[in-house]
Amino acid sequence: MADDEHRVCLGVVISAHGIKGEVNVRSYSDAPEHMSDYGAFTDEKGNALEVSGVRIGPKGPVMRIAGVGDRNAAEALKGTKLYVDRDQLPDLDEDEFYHDDLVGLAVEVQGEIIGTVSAVHNFGAGDIIEIARTGQKSVMLPFTREIVPHVDIPGGVLGAEPPPGYFDEPKEEDETHQ
Amino acid sequence: MSRSVWKGPFVDGYLLKKADESQKSGRKEVIKIWSRRSTILPQFVGLTFGVYNGRKFIPVLVTESMVGHKFGEFSPTRTFLGHAADRRAKRA
Repeated sequence: MADDEHRVCLGVVISAHGIKGEVNVRSYSDAPEHMSDYGAFTDEKGNALEVSGVRIGPKGPVMRIAGVGDRNAAEALKGTKLYVDRDQLPDLDEDEFYHDDLVGLAVEVQGEIIGTVSAVHNFGAGDIIEIARTGQKSVMLPFTREIVPHVDIPGGVLGAEPPPGYFDEPKEEDETHQ
Repeated sequence: MSRSVWKGPFVDGYLLKKADESQKSGRKEVIKIWSRRSTILPQFVGLTFGVYNGRKFIPVLVTESMVGHKFGEFSPTRTFLGHAADRRAKRA
């Protein structure tokens, strides 16, 4: 089994497409049409899968893989996860981070670890980090320079400065607007 | 047919009050609200609201392009946890 720590899963083969050996892929990537730009994929066991072409079909990306020339061979790939090395992903600008790097970081508030980043969301109003806290409800923090001033990916820590009272449960009169 | 212009946009009164107080105080804070039905007004731009989705407060940093929409649009009640893959987050 290849080292999953340094690999990122970009998609999974869901079915064969046509009779020429193409496969339908469920993409987890932001830009499915550029999936092949990262170079060769590897499967769960670390075997290389050379992509010779990607196009967007009616069910999502349709991929042609080198050495897969007929439908039987394509069907045998069903369920195969497509990984790339983390190092193959392009470098990002300042203040840009891969979700994969942020998830799992410990969150420190005033010198105390309050939980870990469990997910990164964007519902249309900026990026949000979700923090899983042990024994308590998870909370969400806006991913802004003001509220999350320190991101130390090698150190595995994210320093947050939430507004005072942010984690407090709301008062009943707040909810009833009295 | 859309809402008549003479009626103006709908906003819950308590929300306007909270937003005014926050703007006057100048503190960085997240205004926790339950009113998903309220329209986002131009005076809310720059403020951060925590919009309740039935379980938790989703932070909504209001920008100019959000004016005219409802708060609830930015606080989904059903969450799909997708794969991280090569997705990027930008710190605002």
